[in-house]
Amino acid sequence: MSELKTGTFSVSDLENVQINIGSIVGAIEKTAAEEGEVGLTVKPNISGLRDWDYKLLERYNPVYTPMCDQCCYCTFGTCDLTGNKEGACGINMEGHNAREFMLRVITGASAHSGHGRHLLHHLIDKYGADYPLKVGQTNIIAPNVQMVTGKKPETLGDLEGALSYVEEQLVQLLACVHVGQEGEAIDFESKAMHGGMLDHVGMEVSDIAQISCLEMPKADENAPLSEIGMGTIDSEKPVLLVIGHNVAGVTNIIDYMEDHDLTDKMELCGLCCTALDMTRYRTEGGDVPKAKVVGTLAKELKMIRSGVPDVIVVDEQCVRADVLREARKLMMPVITTNDKIMYGLPDRSEDDIEDIIDDLKSGRDDGALILDFEKLGEVAPRLTQEMSKIRKEKGVVSLPTEEEFNELTSRCVHCLACELECPTNLPISDAMTAAEEGDLGPFEILHDKCVACGRCEQACPKDIPVLNVIEKASQRVIREERGKVRVGRGQISDPEIREEGVNLVMGTTPGIIAMVGCSNYPDGTKDLYRIADEMLRRNYIVLMSGCSAMDLGMYQNDDGETLYEKYPAKFQKGNLINVGSCVSNSHITAATIKVAAIFAQRNITGNYEEIADYILNRVGAVGVAWGAYSQKASSIGTGCNRLGIPVILGPHGSKYRRALIGKPYEEDKWKVLDARNGETMDIPPAPEFLLTTAETIDEMMPMLAKNCIRPSDNNMGRMIKLTHYIELSEKYLGIMPDDWYKYVRNETDLPLARREEFLKKLEQEYGWDIDWNKKKIVSGPTSKLDVSAQPTNVERLCKEA
Amino acid sequence: MADVSKNLKVYTTYGPKSARGTKPAIVAKMIEKAKRPLFVVGSEVLEEKLLARAQAIAKKGIPVAATGHSIKGFIDEEGVDAKYINIHFLGTFLCDPKWAGLDDNGCYDLIILLGHKKYYINQVLSALKNFSDLNTINIGKHYTQNATLSFGNVTPEVHLEALDELIDNL
Repeated sequence: MSELKTGTFSVSDLENVQINIGSIVGAIEKTAAEEGEVGLTVKPNISGLRDWDYKLLERYNPVYTPMCDQCCYCTFGTCDLTGNKEGACGINMEGHNAREFMLRVITGASAHSGHGRHLLHHLIDKYGADYPLKVGQTNIIAPNVQMVTGKKPETLGDLEGALSYVEEQLVQLLACVHVGQEGEAIDFESKAMHGGMLDHVGMEVSDIAQISCLEMPKADENAPLSEIGMGTIDSEKPVLLVIGHNVAGVTNIIDYMEDHDLTDKMELCGLCCTALDMTRYRTEGGDVPKAKVVGTLAKELKMIRSGVPDVIVVDEQCVRADVLREARKLMMPVITTNDKIMYGLPDRSEDDIEDIIDDLKSGRDDGALILDFEKLGEVAPRLTQEMSKIRKEKGVVSLPTEEEFNELTSRCVHCLACELECPTNLPISDAMTAAEEGDLGPFEILHDKCVACGRCEQACPKDIPVLNVIEKASQRVIREERGKVRVGRGQISDPEIREEGVNLVMGTTPGIIAMVGCSNYPDGTKDLYRIADEMLRRNYIVLMSGCSAMDLGMYQNDDGETLYEKYPAKFQKGNLINVGSCVSNSHITAATIKVAAIFAQRNITGNYEEIADYILNRVGAVGVAWGAYSQKASSIGTGCNRLGIPVILGPHGSKYRRALIGKPYEEDKWKVLDARNGETMDIPPAPEFLLTTAETIDEMMPMLAKNCIRPSDNNMGRMIKLTHYIELSEKYLGIMPDDWYKYVRNETDLPLARREEFLKKLEQEYGWDIDWNKKKIVSGPTSKLDVSAQPTNVERLCKEA
Repeated sequence: MADVSKNLKVYTTYGPKSARGTKPAIVAKMIEKAKRPLFVVGSEVLEEKLLARAQAIAKKGIPVAATGHSIKGFIDEEGVDAKYINIHFLGTFLCDPKWAGLDDNGCYDLIILLGHKKYYINQVLSALKNFSDLNTINIGKHYTQNATLSFGNVTPEVHLEALDELIDNL
């Protein structure tokens, strides 16, 4: 008898009978055997990687900076935990804050995985469970899935198991938030790490499913460029704006527009990651993107208040809660398309298309919930054309006229309420004064720094619509907001890793800088350009994703080029890659996993601890989430952390209320084992942290270089990394860093051009013994250079252990 | 006399314990009484008028922890003992009694803060408030709830006047 397999089969002689077999008892064990060598942690449960987490937390201590000193989780409370007091249930401030951080992480992971589940249902429905996964030139289709679940998915249906595992674990983690469950901070921390790891599995499922089915670029270094910016939108045409992260329904809109010859007759543009994913849709092979990107979450209210969109379609994640209320004032119907955001709108999914359009264009309804994507595909573009005519006839305008603008600026009494309420305390009052005197410059600067949250308007005692004033004053710069962003390419291919892996592990490519996350920057969008350009000129590989990827494309150099046009997009030193949207962040961790798999021939299947240990000690990668605002950013970052990748946040990141910071002065913490013999090796404090914040980008520049240093660097690699650390510190802080000597193992680690100068410093300032005839270090360094050493934090991986 | 002890309005609350308002003369006295004060300056101190005051305070012999890229304003300044450190790291180390300080002479007993982003320093100070016994004083222009003592929300002009008064009293 032939063996049962998962999939679909028909029963002969019986018409219209089809049997689906989802999973088979004992299949996991059987598949594992087929997968070859399998590690110790296939589908780890909450405690499965606890030992690894404890190792990380021993060196990188949780640092809590509470934002609320009380706990109000249950009816025992409210409890004041100030000063690490215990509440009525016994939890203290540390425990409560660790719990809150974990909750933040699993909220983010749930958002990505919920998105993944929705997308997977939709795509399996449309393409079938047997549809093959195609992500480009690779033998490792889903590195995160394979490493965590021990399975190698090949079809859409294979992803269901990975997602079910993630969902089950997220429920278990959420259960721990309940009163009377976990009580110790350190185990909440381990659970947060678990949630972060799950997030990368959920993201990977989401993205490889859509890459495979929606003809998105597949590890393509020549992915096309897309237009970006409020200035690229032709407001004379009907404008359809989509907001969110889930591109499923929008593909139907694009298809309808193409089928009905509407592509050039109206504008389809987007905000947030839906926008990025729209530009990926059917651009495999270099086709022109079928939509434009307006920008990030920070542009949401600005774009709506501009009055330009005729219809708004929202899906899920990072959509403002007041879109409907704002749009209503400007006669813009809102269509919600996902049960995560419904805004109280009537469900019109089953209704006749003509009736829906009539009700919306007549103003009888402000909007509609349409969960049927075929229907959405037709309603949205047709309604946009109708509304464009109606709104133009009615002369709908939102921003103030010149006269109104003058009246508003003179109405300001400079009480500073707006500034104190502003999340970044922007100097609004001074800009009002300047505008009164005819100088719009300060408002134009505010336009870039302002994230358009609208809290200033809520605070103003004179009812000045502050955001409208800023936007009216900034019309000149808004018209000039025209850039280019490279369409997201998805994974890094195996050939690329094969070529570049050795350089990364030896350090001769100084590191990967992954700029991810949202747009809550402390000082405007141009900071991203400065960071990327500096690090690219220094030959780092710069990976981009999500909102950061968009904002980077908003700036041009003196030759009128964006960095996407200036730098090539292969995975090698000095290249700039956009992996894609928020869920594409999984490809960044995947790249480091693939370095271990392809370059080092490590088994990744169900083998999380060994791979994370490899990455922590050998792959110089640092994440930067300069404008992180969301729970998703905390889960992405925490997933990186468990895998040994440090992450730096902008100052707003302090509001995540938890960092993981090492103490360089605790010498016993900076030791590893040599896997060749189990002997203890001293290492320099790098990475110094797993999660921290920086105050300004000038401060962050040297931090980036320093924290790409790894114990495995060869002398050439260490010399290159140390040179960048010292140069960046001198350039941006004006000082020689006071810990540079800790990274010197012998004279060959020293920057070549300044070797003699540094040998003198080591002798005079640090008392090292130098042989000046041979220009060699005789004694002094705490860590030794041994290129054959195999640094590890895991005792079982040592041969003599 | 610059009255910087009023307008302690908070726009979002951190909890039941809030900084008390203070005045330049009181700050000066506390600095004089402290055995190991530390003057922590943030990157916003690099604004010309503020920097001149910060340098003057440092020259009174108080060691400086320069966070962000503020160290640029203190290099080669005679009579100033300034070192760069990341503020999140500094906040962490200050909560650790085992930390030997920036100069290896032991931990500090009074922290004076100037030139920080309000939201950022409030977060860092929440760690010190909850997990250390340190006294912290924010002499910036925004009321900072998580410090032990803080100036109120004041205009830039009143703020500079208050700093001058503090310098005169040191």
